[in-house]
Parts: sequence; structure tokens; C-alpha cells
Amino acid sequence: MATLTVDHLEKTFPAIERGSVPTTAIDDLTFTVEGHVFVSVVGPSGCGKSTLLNILSGIETSSSGSATVSEGTRPARLGYVFQDPRLLPWRTVMQNMLYVIDESGAQARTRAERYLEMVGLDGAGDKFPAQLSGGMQQRVGIARAFAVEPDLLLMDEPFSHLDAITARSLREQLQDIWTQTRKTVLFVTHDVAEAVQLSDRIIVLAPGGKLYADVEVDLPRPRKVSDTDVATMQAELLGRFETMQAETAAAKTASIAN
Amino acid sequence: MSIAVERTRTAGSSGGGAADVLRRFVRSDRFARAASYVFLLLLWWLASVYEDRFPAPLETFQFLWVEVTGGSHGGVVRGEFLEHFASTLPRFGLGIAISMVLGIAVGVVIGGSKWAEALFKDTLLVLLALPAIIWAFLTQMWFGLGDDAVVITTFLSAFPFVAVNVVQGIQAIPRELRRMSRAFHVPRYKRLRHMQVPAVTGYIFAGFRFAVIVGWNAVLLSEWFSSSEGVGWRSRYWYDANRYRGFLAWVILFIGFIVLLDRLVLVRLQRRAFRWRDAQASAIEREAEEIDIGVKGA
Repeated sequence: MATLTVDHLEKTFPAIERGSVPTTAIDDLTFTVEGHVFVSVVGPSGCGKSTLLNILSGIETSSSGSATVSEGTRPARLGYVFQDPRLLPWRTVMQNMLYVIDESGAQARTRAERYLEMVGLDGAGDKFPAQLSGGMQQRVGIARAFAVEPDLLLMDEPFSHLDAITARSLREQLQDIWTQTRKTVLFVTHDVAEAVQLSDRIIVLAPGGKLYADVEVDLPRPRKVSDTDVATMQAELLGRFETMQAETAAAKTASIAN
Repeated sequence: MSIAVERTRTAGSSGGGAADVLRRFVRSDRFARAASYVFLLLLWWLASVYEDRFPAPLETFQFLWVEVTGGSHGGVVRGEFLEHFASTLPRFGLGIAISMVLGIAVGVVIGGSKWAEALFKDTLLVLLALPAIIWAFLTQMWFGLGDDAVVITTFLSAFPFVAVNVVQGIQAIPRELRRMSRAFHVPRYKRLRHMQVPAVTGYIFAGFRFAVIVGWNAVLLSEWFSSSEGVGWRSRYWYDANRYRGFLAWVILFIGFIVLLDRLVLVRLQRRAFRWRDAQASAIEREAEEIDIGVKGA
């Protein structure tokens, strides 16, 4: 069982031009995630959500503090679903799946097929990405991330580039797959409603990358957007979210007045 | 929409008759290409009329025919076309093959690391700038007559073009794909095979094409100086013998060879390598057709 530990994590981007101030993306962030839970990180744009995922996956380094994923004694395996599909355009869907799977031969192929089937794309293995719609490409991206059988699955606003209808059906599909496979998921989004529908726990970040709230979502699954409980919780959380934005706006005005 | 388009099309074709057919023929690509050949032949013929030492097209082609099929040039020599191509082509092929393998390897290394780029980039530029004739002379001094000098001249002339193109290709790989590969910890050889090489295929082709043209140039030049057989040597033979139509006949032969190689081999390879892109094009076409059918049905 994977343990994710974020300990006093800070990330500051240096000033690009002379005279401009360095920007803080993540500010003294601490939380732990244990077990097979679905955790969402919600926050307005520019609050360092994607930076957090990049640090976890090793694409970026932290300025101070640490973010570690451990799985017993061996190094943890990570899966990543990006905003855009990020498939190799010159390789077929199957070859794209095999690209990230660390097994080889028939075993790898069987595994790839199993996860393609889960996203409803069995039989699309021989297609090139360009022959699929945007939604289907994103489904390949999801299947690919699950296929590495990760200890921690990172998802970076995976539905934000899709139209509302496609996004809704993919959200339901993601719920199904997750219930079947039970991975530890860290799901980044700016959409509070989406977070409530999918998560067991929601971490709300304030602008500047500070922890604002840590909320348990204890609702039965499978959840639909139309469920009363889900809708109530969404409204409640959206209310807190708006309060937070009002507070930061007020703080900003105050600092300008001073 | 589509009905209106069809109507204008029928109106256009029924009105013109023979004149219209002729106009369409003149405007076709095939006609334009044929016209350019005719024009060049005409220029050549005019040049031979005004300058005695410039052989006329007809006598040149007659000479060429004898070189290809056998026979004699006023009792001089039998046809030796195959023999000379047979000694040039392996040298050419080997030189190109070495320059492709090393060019891709060096290109991948330089393209993948800033440090390697700083180390090699200027050297590569110098190599690019060196004309084949320098290598032809140097290798003649180093290796004397024979295959070595010719193969190495071909390789040295073609190699930098391959390497430079591969460097550009590697540097053009989208950052998103590189990050994706890193996030999934994809091993190095898999990245090379499935991300870097396919991404640079277009650039490799551009490099290969340059290599073939530059290399062909170099092989002929080097044979002129360092060989006693081969296509380059044969053109020199006729040149030294003051038989300009023989010289020109061989020029036509090696131009013809490079054109055929380009049309028959390179174009086909290219089509195969870009299947993924064509798949995209045909998918878009299919979608367009579906929309069209939808409009007609409505």
C-alpha cells in the first residue's frame, strides 16, 4: 500500500526578468495520503496544483521540503494522466500502451488489452491516435496510466480539454475503473463539482499554494451528479471555495491600501 | 451545396469541347514537366549549333547507346556501362551506409545533450563547409588508388548532412512527449526506438536525400582522381581522350541514375515512414465525406 508524504513542501520559481519578484507556487504544504484512496487537489488556477504533480513525478524539483511516495522497500511506480493525451502520434494505440509497460511479449500485450477494454477501446489497438476523437485519445491516456499498475496515479485535469458530455461519461468510466482496481489517486482539478463526484478526500489549495481545507467525502459509490447528497456537498464546498476567493481578494486589496 | 458545385462543373465541361480538353492538357503537371525537358534539349541543341566543341544531343545519345549496349566508337572500345556502374555502386552504397549509421548516432548524441552540442557543433559546421574535392585530394594522398579513398570521400562528404539534420530533428521533439516518457520512466532504448527515431524520420529522410546527392557527387569526383574504373573514371577517360560527347554521355548517365533513385526508392520509403500522418489525412477525409453525405441526405 502506497504512502504519499508531502512535508513542508515549497516551490519558488526564480524571477525571470530583472525587477520582477520570484513567484511562490507551493507554500509550506504538508499532508499525507495512505492506502487506496481517491484524493483530489482543488484550487484556482495558478495555485501550484500541476507543480505538485510534476515534483512528485520527478519532472521538477522542490525548493525545500520533500514529497515522497513509498511502497514498502521498493521504489513506487507512478502513472500519469495529462491534460492532453500525449500519445506518440507515429505509433498505434497498442504500441503506445506497450511503450510504458515494463513487461514484454505476450504478457504485456494481454495487460494492455485488458486496460483498453476497461476504457471501452478494445479493438482500437491498431489505430493511430490521429484516427481517434479527442475523447478516445484521452481514454487511451487513462488506460495507459492504469496499465503500468501504479502505486500512485497522478491525474492533471484530465477532462478539462473535453466537451461537457464527453467529460461526464469519462468521469463515470473513471469511477468504474477505479472501483475495480483501487489505486491511490491524486487528482488535480479546478472543478469542485468534479472533485466531489470522484473523491474520498479533497484538499483545497489557496492561491499561492497554501493548504486551505482538507475535506472528507463520505458518500456511497457509484455517485452520479444528479444524486442529492452529491449535489448538496458540491454546493457546500463551492460556498467555501467562494469564501476563500473573497478572502484572498480582500487580503489583496488590504495589502494594496497599506 | 454539393448539388450546386456539380452543376457548375457540368456546365464548365460541356461548353468548351476540344479547346477545353487542350487547355486542361496544357495546364496539367505532366505537360509542364515534359515541356521543361523539351526546353532543355532545345537549349542544348542551340548551344551545339553555335559552339563546335559542344556535342549535339543526337550524337551524344548515340554515343551513350553504344556505351550501354556494346559496340565500338570508331574501333575504340566496347560498351562498358554495366562494368563501371558495378564498381561504383558498392563504393557509393558503402559510403552512404556508413554516413547514415554514424550520422544518426552522432546526431542523436549532439541533439540530446547541450554539452555534446557545444563540443561538436562547430566541427560539424566545418565539415559541412568543406567541399568534396578537398576530401578527394586528401584521401588520394592518404590511400592512393583504389576503393578506400573513394568510399571514405563519399562518407566524409555525406556524413555531416545526415548528422546536422538528425540534430535538428532531435531538438524538435515536443517537450510534452519527453516529459511523458520521463514521468513513466520509459527506458532509454525504448525512447530511442519509439520516440526519438520516429520523430526524426522526416529529418533523417531529408539528411538521406542530401547524403545521396552529395555522396554521388563525391564518389564521381573521387573516382576521377583515385580510381582506374567506375563511372567517375570513365567520364574522365573520355575527357582525357578529347571525346566530349563521351564525357557528356556519362554526365547524362549519372544524372539519370540519381533521378531514378530519387523517384523509385526515396519516394516509396518516405510514403511508408509517414503512414501515421497519412492515416490522419485519410481520417479527416472520411469525416469530411460523412459530413457531405449528411448534407445530401438532409
